[in-house]
Amino acid sequence: MKGLRLEVWKDQIDIMASSNLDSLPLSQTIAPAEQAGVAEAVRAAFEAGTPVYPLGGGTSLDYGLPARQTGIGLSLSGLARVVDYPARDMTVTAEAGIRLSELARVLAAERQWLPIEAPQPDEATLGGLVATAWGGARRYGWGRMRDYVIGISAVDGRGTPFKGGGRVVKNVAGYDFCKLLTGSLGTLAVITQVTLKLKPLPERSILVCASVGDLDDAERLLAGLVQTATTPSAIELLVGPAWRDEPSLPPLVPGAIGRLVVGLEGTAGEVTWMAETLAQEWRSQKMAEVTIISDEPAGGTAPGAATVWTRLRDFSIGEAELVLKAVLPPSRVCAFVSRLLAADRQVSIQAHAGSGLVMARFPQFAAGDISKKLLGDLQPAAASSGYLTVLASSIPDLTRQSVWGGIGAPLPWMHAVKQQFDPRGLLNPGRFVFA
Amino acid sequence: MMLAESLVFLAERLRELVGVDNVLSAHSDLMVYECDAFVIEKNSPDVVVFPRTSEHVAAVIKLCNELNVPYVPRGAGTGLAGGSLPIGGGVMIVLTRMNQILELNLRDRYAVVQPGVVNLWLTNALKGTGYHYAPDPSSQGACTIGGNVATNSGGPHTLKYGVTVNHTLGLEAVMTDGSIVQFGGPYEDAPGLDLVGTLVGSEGTLAVVTKIWVRISRNPEGVRTLLVVFDSVDSATQAISDVIGAGIVPAALEMMDQGILAAVEAAYHFGFPLDAEAVLLIEVDGLEAGLDERRDRIIEICRQAGAREVRQARDAQERLKLWKSRKGAFAAVGRLSPSYCTQDGVVPRTKLPHILRRIREIGGRYNVRIVNVFHAGDGNIHPILLFDERDPAQIQRVLAAGHEILEECIASGGSVTGEHGIGVEKISFMAKLFAPDDVAAMERLRTAFNPRGLLSPAKMLPTAGACGVEQVHPGRRAAV
Repeated sequence: MKGLRLEVWKDQIDIMASSNLDSLPLSQTIAPAEQAGVAEAVRAAFEAGTPVYPLGGGTSLDYGLPARQTGIGLSLSGLARVVDYPARDMTVTAEAGIRLSELARVLAAERQWLPIEAPQPDEATLGGLVATAWGGARRYGWGRMRDYVIGISAVDGRGTPFKGGGRVVKNVAGYDFCKLLTGSLGTLAVITQVTLKLKPLPERSILVCASVGDLDDAERLLAGLVQTATTPSAIELLVGPAWRDEPSLPPLVPGAIGRLVVGLEGTAGEVTWMAETLAQEWRSQKMAEVTIISDEPAGGTAPGAATVWTRLRDFSIGEAELVLKAVLPPSRVCAFVSRLLAADRQVSIQAHAGSGLVMARFPQFAAGDISKKLLGDLQPAAASSGYLTVLASSIPDLTRQSVWGGIGAPLPWMHAVKQQFDPRGLLNPGRFVFA
Repeated sequence: MMLAESLVFLAERLRELVGVDNVLSAHSDLMVYECDAFVIEKNSPDVVVFPRTSEHVAAVIKLCNELNVPYVPRGAGTGLAGGSLPIGGGVMIVLTRMNQILELNLRDRYAVVQPGVVNLWLTNALKGTGYHYAPDPSSQGACTIGGNVATNSGGPHTLKYGVTVNHTLGLEAVMTDGSIVQFGGPYEDAPGLDLVGTLVGSEGTLAVVTKIWVRISRNPEGVRTLLVVFDSVDSATQAISDVIGAGIVPAALEMMDQGILAAVEAAYHFGFPLDAEAVLLIEVDGLEAGLDERRDRIIEICRQAGAREVRQARDAQERLKLWKSRKGAFAAVGRLSPSYCTQDGVVPRTKLPHILRRIREIGGRYNVRIVNVFHAGDGNIHPILLFDERDPAQIQRVLAAGHEILEECIASGGSVTGEHGIGVEKISFMAKLFAPDDVAAMERLRTAFNPRGLLSPAKMLPTAGACGVEQVHPGRRAAV
């Protein structure tokens, strides 16, 4: 019986580029074409006690802790269809394996979008986006992944399919599995299908940029933005070598520590008004040079807003040995940036400063120094008001505490949930907060 | 119900824990707490406690565990689905005395409140700061933020701004083992599972929330409020579908039909056109720079759909009066009939014309008068079924008609509750909305948090001991 089923899968096997999967100890990779196939694969693995690594586009395999136990790769690439797109309801139901760029293309045809950004959209999948709860600069104005998932189908660690939510934008029937699974890194269930609510594509999307002399200047401007008359969709603080000579941005004023970049999106009239208003607000706060980065660059040679948005999206995948992410109250961002700079002058930083998130790319760390810096200095600094986690790293032996921070009192309750959904601990083992 | 002597013992122990002024056990006192705004099913708790601190809540829960007594949290009791009904009696933990706004932090755009803070208090406390708290259920003058968290409340302006969970950053909760745990806080993306998102909307069945970190929202620079008059319900629902379909997200988009308009006009004297079959209340907000453009586009779409007249609120005062009329609509229903009950169905927004036609047809078939006032932009309907509770035959027809409407919502790809919750009222629909495996997964989640089942027993899931309320009598409901 089992052999027969494997026969069926054989046709659908999609051996992924092995380079992508190097970091996972896989005995084999299978790619079912239906949710039933996913359920069957997980059920078989459950019975055999084999670990299962759900695979999307393979773009976040260095996220979290490295996997150690050999298991099967369960690719969702065979489930990549748009199931239902009632554009006039502004919702879409798609399978987990659909690439983000493909989904964006489908939605753009109806002038709609999912305003959540992730690097490598040609590779990254919707399921991966939900599993990692990834989010970029636009979170300030548009919210987070958890705000967009309104329905979800998945297969738990026993191989039992289940769903939560539905296909309507407002729904409080039953427990909210959409929230539970968003950001669960495939450790409770393998996500097979997602229903999203959507937004209309903004007509225009520009950025306003200014150099900031030092971090006190930056904090003064950031605090001022709390009362800006404009409605920014992104508030970014960019510091360090990765940004210093960035060609898509106006040149850094000599001596300045970095740049503040604010995204403004809306109708043509709104965007024009906001750009002028924000520039005025900043000038009144003694910012001399304020540059507007248009989405319709004059002459067509200068890089426009689209290029900057892409750079902002892709920061975390730039060359680095270690990428950290801190989550803080926004007022603590500049102080934490200062701590990062004190730890290493070569660090490059992108802070979603309006939302209190700081990403830091360290090009290299002297071996042995990492845990001291992380655990001894940076993590305690963040822990007084938030968390510091490792977003990506090529360092092999980081501890769970280093990577995920001290979760503290909520951890036993996360374990209790895990025990219910994946009792044998086979889904994406070792990589997330669960020991 | 407990034996008399153990009841005395329980009440005594509770008085020791939280103080004599914070415990009620006299029968006459308990009657107040035998139901919330879902009045069909009633049951008195054995004791009511009013904790003042999280530690009080923890001590009460530990005692309930020790004595194996069920316990249920309650806010202001405005819940419409019986979420705080004390099934099996036991201890009711009423959180209305934990009612302090603990922190307003503009720089970091959050507020910290205790669960008993009334929704409107927070927005009032933020007046003059340029910020507000966005979720605005119609009962916002009475309902508590703790209750809003339990049911994941909505309100008219959640069309643009999102429901309670979209504004909840962190929770402190007392867990079923009596431990006090903080999930999330004044930051986004706390590592690990999103248990904040999981606890919001869990209807008090997973933990007792004792502190809430909420995101506060910038006030819009400007607002345009329109009253659009239609000669047919079909044209009005078509206009709703067309506005959303055109990619316009108003701040609010509400519909009232002719039946409810008569009552609302008699109560509030706004000047609604009583010969119109339906009116839409449409509000756009945001930057002045884009407002008139959006308003004009909406007017154009409405006119194309057959609107007979468009009025714009002249000033803030007229706008407030318009919203007061809308939010007070349910209070005005008493003018139409001695009793009424409402449903909280949701359909995809393009199915609004269909569901409204079906509601009319169902009402006709059962000979039940139905009026409508609802969150049209979200597809969240609130048909109000009018009846006289002295007539048993009418009661049966109303129950049957209500069920058929919700079945039609499910058949249209929707849900049986958009914002009121499952509670005890809609347990029987869970099996229609979800497959057995879905419900089993929900049971597992509940087991993870509430393994002994002493917290809010027999709610939300159609499992052991919770087959739902056998409805023999529809309810009269308050605000929606």
